[in-house]
Amino acid sequence: MRPTSKPDSPALKARTFQCMGTVIGLTVPMAGNDDGGSRAATEEALGSAADAVERIFRELDGQFSLYRPDSEASRVARREVTPKETSAGFRDRYAEAANWRLLTEGSFTPERPDGAPDLSGLVKGYAVQEAGAALASLGLTDWCLNAGGDVLVSGSPIVGTAATWQAGIVDPQDRGTLLAAYPLGGGTTARALATSGSAERGDHIWTRATGPSEFLQVSVAAADIVTADVLATAIVAGGLPMLNRATDGWDVQVLAVRRDGGLLATPGFRA
Amino acid sequence: MRIRAVVSATLASAGILLAGWQSGAHVAESASAVGTTAGTAGTGTTGTGSAKSGLGSSAGGSTSGSAASGDTSSGTGTSGSGASGSSGSSSGSSSAGGTFTGDSVQTRFGSVQVQISVSGGKITDVKALQLTDEDRRSVQISNRAAPLLRSEVLQAQSANVQTISGATVTSSAYLTSLQAALDAAHL
Repeated sequence: MRPTSKPDSPALKARTFQCMGTVIGLTVPMAGNDDGGSRAATEEALGSAADAVERIFRELDGQFSLYRPDSEASRVARREVTPKETSAGFRDRYAEAANWRLLTEGSFTPERPDGAPDLSGLVKGYAVQEAGAALASLGLTDWCLNAGGDVLVSGSPIVGTAATWQAGIVDPQDRGTLLAAYPLGGGTTARALATSGSAERGDHIWTRATGPSEFLQVSVAAADIVTADVLATAIVAGGLPMLNRATDGWDVQVLAVRRDGGLLATPGFRA
Repeated sequence: MRIRAVVSATLASAGILLAGWQSGAHVAESASAVGTTAGTAGTGTTGTGSAKSGLGSSAGGSTSGSAASGDTSSGTGTSGSGASGSSGSSSGSSSAGGTFTGDSVQTRFGSVQVQISVSGGKITDVKALQLTDEDRRSVQISNRAAPLLRSEVLQAQSANVQTISGATVTSSAYLTSLQAALDAAHL
């Protein structure tokens, strides 16, 4: 599984941890020269940055995850807590999710079919956004954060350059290969790329229609991760009409894979 | 909403061009083609109607102008009354092809123009062009997703990407994922 190192690829260092049922990774470029001192400094900075990211994810996971019986979200779902009694943070996320439901004309919804609030479609993207803010406040300028396929980057993989981070997009029909790439960060305005699918963990997307989604997978590149993540989920749920609403209403690039493997793409994904 | 309005307007223009051109071509071709012409005209009419909401002037402009200025082909479909299925100067034989550009229409987004490509009597491409004020260079303004071959998207090899986006990878699926391989290389 370990790929051979490429001499021309940027020297990177990564830290990973598990949370929210997936793996979160923080990757940073190594400092310019190869002397031991700067390497150690990079690793130390990466360690404390990854710890900050992990704290944010653990806190939100404990609050919003429905698979945790003790979470605030689970207590709300069991109606042990009324919406009025929830924390300010919970109400803020619920309001944000409800706003997205309006903006997507119902394609994105913060509720399960049984009516219980389910903010998991929003919270991972929110956690990535907050983690990114924490990294910025630590003074880090070049990093790539990946939470189970939702990507947010800053700066460049090569310190001091405008090189973009190259994000590969998995082929949903052959998950060992890449379907496409998209450049993030560097000199571009797109910092975030999120992918939603109906093939894997499709149960976290509540489609309004009863049939399966017309898209196997939808990737959205945007300036911020919450927009990318929510719109990718909404397009999987809402199909082509939602895809057109998204490209008309937001500054995003979209790559959608139809059930038959055919592609729909906005101009930004064209080679 | 603005982009939708532009798209409506451009579709309207395209529909009218289509109607004008096809009515000419198909009338010349055979009587049975009149049905097709009427149907096409219907499309144009619908497009014009929806364009009225945001862009009345452009709808009016394209209806009256209606015509392919036909800068790359002598066959100008000057029919503005495609709905009747009649008239319209014939644009030549049914094998005619080429690129037709509609009149430039002023909108609040700037000048907008529709260009269609015709080959073998069929429209093969419709482009919305926007003319910038400085150099009149045309750019494509639609950000709509369109069908694309796999060979036409930005390509990537796992060796030259730094991160992987995919539908949510579970902790167990991660172990065999491309992202895991990338992370392993950098841990």
